[in-house]
Amino acid sequence: MLAHAILSGLVFGCYFTLVGLGLNLIFGVMRIVNLAHGDVVMLGAFAAFWLFALIGLHPLISSVIVLAAFALLGLPVYYLVVPRLLAARDSEMLSIILFFGVQQIIEALATIAFGTSERSIPGRVLGRGPLHVLGQTLPVAWIVSAAVSLLAVALVYLYLYRSRVGTLTRAVMVSRDEALASGIDVHRVSALAFAIGVALAGLAGVFSPFMLGSATPAMGGDVNLAAFAVIVIGSLGDPRGTMLGGLIYGVALMLMQTYMSAWANLLPNLLLIAVLLVRPTGLLGRQVRRA
Amino acid sequence: MLRRIVVCLLAIACVAGARGAWAQQSRPADERLGGCFDGYLDKAQTAQATAPQPGEPAAPAEIRIGHLHASSGPYASISMPVYLGLKLWVEQMNAGGGVMVKPFGRKLPLRLISYDDQSNPGTAATLTNQLITQDKIDLLIADSGSVLTAVSVPIAREHKMFLFDPTGTGAAFFSKDNPYIALLADPVSTVWPRFLWEFLKSDVAAAGLTRVAILYSTNDFTGTQAAAIRAALKAPGSPVQIVFDQGVPTSTSNYAVLIDNIAAAKPDVVLELGYVGNDIAFLRNLQESGTKFPMVFTLYPGIETSTLLKNAGQAGLSGVFSYVTALAYSYPPEVGMTLEQFRDSWEKSYAKSGVEFGWNAIAGYVTGLVLGQTLACTNSLAQLDVRKAVFSLSGKLKTLIGTFELNEQGAQIGELTPIGQIAPEGKDGIHFTVVYPPAMANGKPIFGTK
Amino acid sequence: MRRGVREFVTVALPLLAALALAPLVYSNELLLFNFIMFLILAQGLNAIYGFTGYLPFGYVGFFGAGAYGFALAVMHLDATPLPAMACAGVAALALGVVLTPLLRLSGAYFAIANLAAAQAVYQVISNPALQDITKGPYGVTLSSVFAPALSYGVALIILAATLILVAWLRNARFGLALQAIREDPVSAAMAGVAVVRGRTIAWLLSALIAGLAGGVFAWHISVFYPETAFDLSFSIFAIVFTLFGGAATQLGPILGVLLLYGLYNVIGITVPQYFQLIYGVLIVLLVLFLPDGLASLVTRRGFRVP
Repeated sequence: MLAHAILSGLVFGCYFTLVGLGLNLIFGVMRIVNLAHGDVVMLGAFAAFWLFALIGLHPLISSVIVLAAFALLGLPVYYLVVPRLLAARDSEMLSIILFFGVQQIIEALATIAFGTSERSIPGRVLGRGPLHVLGQTLPVAWIVSAAVSLLAVALVYLYLYRSRVGTLTRAVMVSRDEALASGIDVHRVSALAFAIGVALAGLAGVFSPFMLGSATPAMGGDVNLAAFAVIVIGSLGDPRGTMLGGLIYGVALMLMQTYMSAWANLLPNLLLIAVLLVRPTGLLGRQVRRA
Repeated sequence: MLRRIVVCLLAIACVAGARGAWAQQSRPADERLGGCFDGYLDKAQTAQATAPQPGEPAAPAEIRIGHLHASSGPYASISMPVYLGLKLWVEQMNAGGGVMVKPFGRKLPLRLISYDDQSNPGTAATLTNQLITQDKIDLLIADSGSVLTAVSVPIAREHKMFLFDPTGTGAAFFSKDNPYIALLADPVSTVWPRFLWEFLKSDVAAAGLTRVAILYSTNDFTGTQAAAIRAALKAPGSPVQIVFDQGVPTSTSNYAVLIDNIAAAKPDVVLELGYVGNDIAFLRNLQESGTKFPMVFTLYPGIETSTLLKNAGQAGLSGVFSYVTALAYSYPPEVGMTLEQFRDSWEKSYAKSGVEFGWNAIAGYVTGLVLGQTLACTNSLAQLDVRKAVFSLSGKLKTLIGTFELNEQGAQIGELTPIGQIAPEGKDGIHFTVVYPPAMANGKPIFGTK
Repeated sequence: MRRGVREFVTVALPLLAALALAPLVYSNELLLFNFIMFLILAQGLNAIYGFTGYLPFGYVGFFGAGAYGFALAVMHLDATPLPAMACAGVAALALGVVLTPLLRLSGAYFAIANLAAAQAVYQVISNPALQDITKGPYGVTLSSVFAPALSYGVALIILAATLILVAWLRNARFGLALQAIREDPVSAAMAGVAVVRGRTIAWLLSALIAGLAGGVFAWHISVFYPETAFDLSFSIFAIVFTLFGGAATQLGPILGVLLLYGLYNVIGITVPQYFQLIYGVLIVLLVLFLPDGLASLVTRRGFRVP
């Protein structure tokens, strides 16, 4: 039981890393909280569902399409709202409200377009039968989702640490003003990060029917709560921190389900608070405590 | 000084603006009030009294039905089908010239005023009050799901408005001192699982399956059912032993670890009681994990059959036990459409709405049927007469979900659902075999297939 | 301080009088009650966000704690409503004390940690293991103390007290010290402002206000579930209303609630089919085109907003 809980927690945690990854990137670069993140995940789920239901497209192919399409969708959204938002006095806090509005719009449109019933893609599409790993059995769909998540984390890491624009992105993360002063095209860097963040949320959505059972237009709120826990436990802005946060979240959730299931949702929240109080910027974060 | 005046003006403008905004809403109500008959005025007249006009007609132009639904948020997936089912009934009645209203001796058209509370209980409370005090509705129907129904219960009672409760099964709503509520379509949670525990203690135990695991979502609906089952299984002389009994948060969306934990307790029977999303996740994880139990029971395969079939698949549902609702067991209705007719009308109206046909759709339609019968036999639209009329239907009204029966507090105790087992049918369909109670059974249970 | 009195008389008194008289002419009294409740919550949030810059995303945690403080006092101590209201305040204050360490965090970290704390309180209260105490997920019924008119009056009194508090914060030394902390905590500390003590007091006052709002809400609606008392939209609405009107003023949050919550209800009643969509679009437009709130329209031109 213990081994199973830990192993599936790690696999599940990989997926939750992906869920938090986009939110984290956007926060890290722009210092804005994308409250509509969970709703973008939902849109990704419905995109994959319809691509599968209408033309029988395999989710792995859908995920490439969703990545590209959502990135393209993210760019105009960035230029429409973010520069204006960042010009405001307290943009970090205002972003919460702005994206609350965006979330309402997305959920309303999704309800009109898709209805309210649960939707999903059969698990067998990603491979049949349970898989035996280290003496434990796990659904194949979980392993595939976790593998895709790991790949996404690796790519984001390479982007940030092995590419030129990634270096600029990190410069913006450290200090937006100084980056601006040193001649970096902050808006181009931010727009790219925003587009990638939205695309990652969409990607997480493609695999949500396998990891979360089913998708509805109302799922965004719960996804957000989990994503917040993951990125704060890790540390805002750093993809490796998100990975750590995702794994801790996954294992903690599964251990709670095993030993005190009715309290399972409490632990991630307590963990988040505890981590923040001990290390206010997350486990891998730099120190920036106020006063 | 100037500033003081401006501020005062602003405050006044705000209040006036708020009143003006509703003027449009209250206007038709005022017009209709002029057409009220005496018995109704006594009960529903409020502070906004208008002088009675001479020579007023005997009947109102329409019967106003107030209702709430949630088009978004966590309760949307159970609320929308109820709303659309009710709407279908209203549209059908109006196409036929309205419903017979006994006090006026003729058919009157219906007007359904349904607000969207967005699954927000605070908004639901305000809108309930809006329906009663501003729209001056004749009949009040609550939103589905106990959390949203709950806020309407005290408001309806305070305004002495009878509350038609389609599916809010919370046992706390029904008390002897509150005459202003009746539960229409779902059996109350404490009674609903009765056939299940009887089945477990008789046929299942006789087959040697006595170790039971209960996994429930911690909300009012499934928690109350779990408690009722637990109490019955622990009663003295019960042949059944509970070997696993855990609650999980309703937001739980993965069950792989929980299934592994249940398996470690080596149960013969697994009861998973959750909402639609919980059941889908559980059944998918169960199938993917390869774990087998001799008997598995979940709630929603019988309640929202087509949603579950689309999400968990034929293989995921085969062998599973569930309630057999009117979706799979035909009751000859004396009032309203048969299941087939209703399903056809639903597909015609809502095939593209993204709201699946299921038990909640039927519940909305049955709510309409009860309303129609109430109007046909009430002495007046005074709310206590309405209550008397609703209770007079108890034990007599037979619809496509069986016999409507209320206890004295207004909780639904008829329409109990038998227990059935799912078998595959055709390439990707399923059908139910009723296995309990014996009087309704049309087959034998097959254990060990799940 | 005289200016504080004047501001209270010009802004708060007409509002209170209007709300006291409104039930005589408008019968959806629950809507009026909700207006009062959001006015209290918006001002309570103003006390912490407007004056110290901490945005409590989980503000609903105090509201829910107050609602359950009230309910537990009624259910277990057979308390009458007024002592139960005191319990509501104490429950929220206690939670405020427990959560005081969160003030060490800043910006989004604080907002998210506070949200997690509110969720944690909700998950404890709604847990079936505590069914004997809180009734767990099965909800509470307080019909024995149900008194809509009286609770309406008490809500008005709480609102009055809250408005007095905000008028005081805006004009007393203490409030000015708080605003200095918000602008620059280090300089404020160097200027001799007791930074930690100041914001802790603002935090606890803010918690107390939300707790009292929660208590009177529980009293007024009398049948509710944990999901109702801890509904995240209470937090979000209070934040949106405050920011829309303009934080750190007395009039701003009032206008925010009257206009936005008014609009919310008008949309919900007149075009229910597009309720959520229109409201969402409205909020986005407001943030983009009026980011510093309504009050900024006036202050930008050099006027002081009460």
